[in-house]
Amino acid sequence: MFMLDHKKIISTAMIASAIFFGTAHAGEQAIDGGAIYKVKDGMYTSYAVNTQDKKDFKYGKVPSKTEIAAWDIDVMPDGTGLPEGKGSVERGDELYEVKCGMCHGDFGSGGQGSRSTYPTLSVGSASTETLTNQRNVPDADGPKRAIGTYWPQASTLFWYIQSGMPFPHPKSLSNDDTYALVAYILSINEIEIDGETLDDEYVLDREKFLKIKMPNVDGFIPNIDGPEGPANVKKFLNDPKNYGNGTRCMKDCIDPKVNIVRIKVEINAFEPPMSVERTMKEEKVTGKVHPGQKLYEASCSVCHATDAMGAPNLGNKDAWASVLEKGIDKVYANGINGINAMPPKGGAIDLTEAQFKSAVDYMIKNSK
Amino acid sequence: MTKMTKTSEQDLDIVSEMNMAQSSRRNFFRKAAVYSASAVAATSILSPVKLSAEDDSAIIHHKKWGTTLGDPVTKNHYGIPSPYEHNNTRRTTALLASGDNYASISMCPIHEQEGIITPNGLFFNRSHGGVAHVDPKDYRLMIHGLLEKPLLLTLDELKRYPSVTRIHFIECPANGGPEWRGPQFNSIQFAKGMMSSAEWTGVLIKDLIADLGLKKEALWMLAEGCDNSEMGRTVPVEKVLDDAMIVWAQNGEALRPEQGYPVRLMLPGWEGNLQVKWLKRLEFSKEPFYAKEETAKYTVLTPSGKAIQHFYPLEVNSIITSPCPEKPWTDLKKGDLVEIQGLAWSGQGTIKHVDITFDGGVNWKEVSLKGLVLPKSWTRFSYMYRYEGKPLLLASRAVDDSGHVQPTIDQETAVVGVEAVYHRNSICTWEVTDKGVVNNVHVRS
Ligand code: HEC
Ligand code: HEC
Repeated sequence: MFMLDHKKIISTAMIASAIFFGTAHAGEQAIDGGAIYKVKDGMYTSYAVNTQDKKDFKYGKVPSKTEIAAWDIDVMPDGTGLPEGKGSVERGDELYEVKCGMCHGDFGSGGQGSRSTYPTLSVGSASTETLTNQRNVPDADGPKRAIGTYWPQASTLFWYIQSGMPFPHPKSLSNDDTYALVAYILSINEIEIDGETLDDEYVLDREKFLKIKMPNVDGFIPNIDGPEGPANVKKFLNDPKNYGNGTRCMKDCIDPKVNIVRIKVEINAFEPPMSVERTMKEEKVTGKVHPGQKLYEASCSVCHATDAMGAPNLGNKDAWASVLEKGIDKVYANGINGINAMPPKGGAIDLTEAQFKSAVDYMIKNSK
Repeated sequence: MTKMTKTSEQDLDIVSEMNMAQSSRRNFFRKAAVYSASAVAATSILSPVKLSAEDDSAIIHHKKWGTTLGDPVTKNHYGIPSPYEHNNTRRTTALLASGDNYASISMCPIHEQEGIITPNGLFFNRSHGGVAHVDPKDYRLMIHGLLEKPLLLTLDELKRYPSVTRIHFIECPANGGPEWRGPQFNSIQFAKGMMSSAEWTGVLIKDLIADLGLKKEALWMLAEGCDNSEMGRTVPVEKVLDDAMIVWAQNGEALRPEQGYPVRLMLPGWEGNLQVKWLKRLEFSKEPFYAKEETAKYTVLTPSGKAIQHFYPLEVNSIITSPCPEKPWTDLKKGDLVEIQGLAWSGQGTIKHVDITFDGGVNWKEVSLKGLVLPKSWTRFSYMYRYEGKPLLLASRAVDDSGHVQPTIDQETAVVGVEAVYHRNSICTWEVTDKGVVNNVHVRS
């Protein structure tokens, strides 16, 4: 398939292996450009295998249509799986404020989370022109990869939002609300549908959705669509010139005055800190664990660990003191019913009221 | 084994009676033993009387673990590592999180890795919506789409299928991804720890669907998880019918929640992200699905502005694990014979050769492979080196049996640029200083 650097290889062992290379791909190509292994004399490479008949199993059952429909909610580019429904950009904006903005920031600009920034949902443009940017030199601008500039299909957005978002409580958005959120996100990405800009009044429905053409739809190689899709992938991956390959040079391969690039700004804020010591860990005096701590960590810390999303954060005396001014019962009630960007029960709808209250108590106790 | 007969049971009774009779006498001896132990102040009664400064106190003095009882067998019904090993652990850094600790990654301590099997508790952990805890009783696997007969299985039913066991690494294609534009971590755990390896047990999908009548038009399969993110990816049917597996065990026990308990997809040699965890649904189709993780992410943007999609295999790769920044040579003396060790792997085949260089890649020599040499698996390499205390630029380069050669940084970036994020497999170089300190550097020509 491609040649080794024979000139630089001298030992006979290597020549023998070069012959092997010549045959690794003979006849058949694997879809990933790699070697193909077959079962031969009861062996699959170094593994012995059971070559008895493995057919006619009767386990399991045939899923019903309803069961399949309950799980098969993916949406494909041709509209397969896209439900009926509709929603306006304005409605999407309202929903975004309440359910998404605390993480993804104003107009999808990306917000600060407890550890780093949440994904940017828009760079305010649908132009693909930055995608050729390379940060080869200091201070160069990189490519801007966001929904409008990078995603090839809008179907991905509908499917992902309905199955994976909002992050703390996915699979909670109706079809209409999902249409509205998709409409809003497309509008902040400056996407047009059928030549029309998406202003506040714009109502997205299934029919209009199927007319969306994402700006970067032709930005991906190889072409995976149609009956030749897998064959195109195979051809692409079987040519390592497409993704870089080395040469097995053994002597005088590069200029001996090598250019050594050292770490400029070291990142070493690791948790736990790096150490290879073999010593006993110093035991922290652990008091009794508060029953609400686990619940807090599992369901609340995603928003309440920092004040980045406007939630009264753990350990913030002032924030909790002012929350508690209205009395603990009102605070519980607000939490259980939801208030502003705080979803009902923080999105953890399975918590009992007692469990929810104990998570609140834990936060209050640790914020005094 | 001899069976315990009536008489021997009686013998035991007699012995225990004798013990009772002697117990008061034994108590006397026990007290005496305590006194004499304190009298010798924990110095070995077997040791020579005269101690010199060179004598190792670890030998001369009795140790607590040799003079007291250890734990009863009833402690830790599920065993845990020695408390002295607590630094051998996964680690995280904020840079690698998307917002919080739920869509994030924790890195495998490969500087402490021995052999080619990662202990289950140290396996790197990447999730897109937290680590799900699936109740095995409510677990279902649905197989549908372009098949004559769709199928729904419980976990117990799935495990009735004939199993195979294989050793494979799993690597996140973003392994090394923060370092396209230069080194950032003086740590092998963070430079290369988005990978681990295990022995996986499960069923080959081709065996599982043999009876289901896969239709000719079926070219792709969606694999989808049941976790918070319901992560899905499109897999070509050709891989499904080759070595793809559905696995439920890892190193002899059930998968860990971090690895997708109770069931995950296993696509030997391919991107970790494709090996969907908490697997719920397989749907066969004519066209690919365009999931978020195969469009927005896990695509390789090249300088032409076009991005490579469906880039499945992890290409041939290697790294020297000893020495490394965490495990330097600062304790060596000139003239010491030391083993240089490392890991080589390829998602496109079996490791054929590993070469190492001491001068940053000007000259190379082939080194020995050691241990099991398996397809799509970590493979150990080894070289005996006489330490001279002089500066080195130490690196390894692997070659696999499909003819792929690990590229230099220059060779790789010439094709894919520096904005690819994923699939970085270029040669990793350690700068070893004259003091034996090891630093992560990039060598450019
Ligand atoms: C608690 C924080 C949080 C909230 C609230 C939230 N998200 Fe997200 N969102 C995330 C995280 C984290 C990711 C990345 C997940 C991953 O890495 O797979 C994400 C990813 C996304 C993406 C994909 C972005 C990309 O470029 O890959 C979209 C689209 C999205 N969210 C939409 C929404 C919408 C719409 C809502 C409101 C209904 C919402 N999110 C609410 C945290 C949040
Ligand atoms: C999606 C993010 C999010 C999650 C998850 C979340 N909260 Fe909140 N929470 C907020 C925000 C934002 C506020 C501030 C609301 C406001 O007053 O504007 C808040 C406010 C509160 C308040 C104060 C209510 C008041 O009366 O002012 C309580 C109590 C509370 N949360 C408890 C919890 C508990 C307990 C959990 C976990 C079970 C939880 N939250 C999970 C975002 C969240």
